[in-house]
Amino acid sequence: MKINRANLAVFSLSIILGIILAVQIKQKVPQMIPVTLKSIENTKNEINTLNKEIEELKVMIQDKEEKIRIYESIVDGDENIVDLLKDELNKNKAVAGFETVKGPGIIVRMEDNMDENAFGQSLDLDLIHDADVLRIINDLRVAGAEAISINEQRVLSISEIKCGGPVIRINGKSVGVPIYIKAIGDPQLLSAAINAPNTYGYALKTIDQIVIETSVEDEIIIPAYSGMFEFKYAKPVKEGD
Amino acid sequence: MKTSKGPFAIIIVSILLGIILALQFKTVSKTVGEGILPTQRAQQLAIELKKVQEERDAALKALNEAENKIAQYERGEADNNVYVENLYNDLEKYRALAGYVDLQGPGVIIEIQDPPVDVQYGIEYSIVDDIDLILQTISVLNAAQAEAISINDQRYTAYTEIVRAGDHIEVNGVSINSPIVIKAIGDPETLESALSIKRGIVWTLRFYDYTVNLVKDDNIIIPKYRKLIEFVYSQPVEDQVK
Repeated sequence: MKINRANLAVFSLSIILGIILAVQIKQKVPQMIPVTLKSIENTKNEINTLNKEIEELKVMIQDKEEKIRIYESIVDGDENIVDLLKDELNKNKAVAGFETVKGPGIIVRMEDNMDENAFGQSLDLDLIHDADVLRIINDLRVAGAEAISINEQRVLSISEIKCGGPVIRINGKSVGVPIYIKAIGDPQLLSAAINAPNTYGYALKTIDQIVIETSVEDEIIIPAYSGMFEFKYAKPVKEGD
Repeated sequence: MKTSKGPFAIIIVSILLGIILALQFKTVSKTVGEGILPTQRAQQLAIELKKVQEERDAALKALNEAENKIAQYERGEADNNVYVENLYNDLEKYRALAGYVDLQGPGVIIEIQDPPVDVQYGIEYSIVDDIDLILQTISVLNAAQAEAISINDQRYTAYTEIVRAGDHIEVNGVSINSPIVIKAIGDPETLESALSIKRGIVWTLRFYDYTVNLVKDDNIIIPKYRKLIEFVYSQPVEDQVK
């Protein structure tokens, strides 16, 4: 076979090109991202959220420093450790949801759309699903709800809300329709979180035609978490080292 | 004089161009600020961001120190007295439940990555648009008796809200972005099987083209909640019957 000089040139040039390309790719050129209006806006937002976070942290630090001052006065005999710990215990019990609380808030009643020719009937969109309840609960938390219950079951961080056939299971108990969600907090904010246009509750009501009624109450009683809870797997992280 | 159609069209197009240019200038100067180049502004913001991040880290450190000091006081007293010790142990349990204690233990880690951009149609969506899927994942973990859950190192508590804010998500008021990493402490076997059951949540996520990594881990650390919860509206109700 006759080797063409032109072919040889192309061949060797291809090899050189390959090497150059590989070198170029291997070199870690810092990624240049063009400055866009969007990226500037994003950075601004990020700074804002960080500032908010710092404010929250400062509130927390202030609270802790207050506590340290009180503990330091134990030495002087002004305070009793038992009383202090009991006080702390009650506060944490309340925050953890192990205490019955009352206060102003709203009651949301949700019911399936019983219309024979409901929208999205074939896709079960006329029924209440766990996802719907989760979204409503999330919206209530955004509005600053201090305590939430579903049909007298306190909703905690460890509460599951799952569809189980014709019922919804929460805290290991079955709950059927109608679902009553109670929330304590600023009644106006809470009710806006469900009823204002563009919220999830509004969409459920107007598009899926699911019955959602809210009523503002001056005093709602939300029961404590009724189950027992023990940590089996989780242990506190040891300080030090 | 004869006016042909040509110049007339050019006049209209020029006017439109002028309006569009003016709009563009106005928008740019509104977001960037008067008399600054966008690149300069971006640099300023980057410096500011770094400063704020350092400030946040300093605040976190101060908070940790204060908490350690309190723990020392409490534990010191608890060592002297059995009654106080019991009280202290009870307190720690409810603190852990409320989310104010770092916890560690076995469990699972789920990483959810945004789906790759559809090359053919250019359809692009992100977990930011599917907040319900995150909520459902947490609900499934709770159904499998998870004891503590975090989303991108933000502790999930009874007060944790997940909100969409533009192109990212805010959890506990802290902005997070894809990939979403959810950690849960509990029985790893139960947690894993609850998540990966057929037509379960991992299946659903994969169905929507999210890349999901589910791994079991013997030692997961879930950080504490860093927000002070103080009831403004709620009051405790004394139990009538004990």
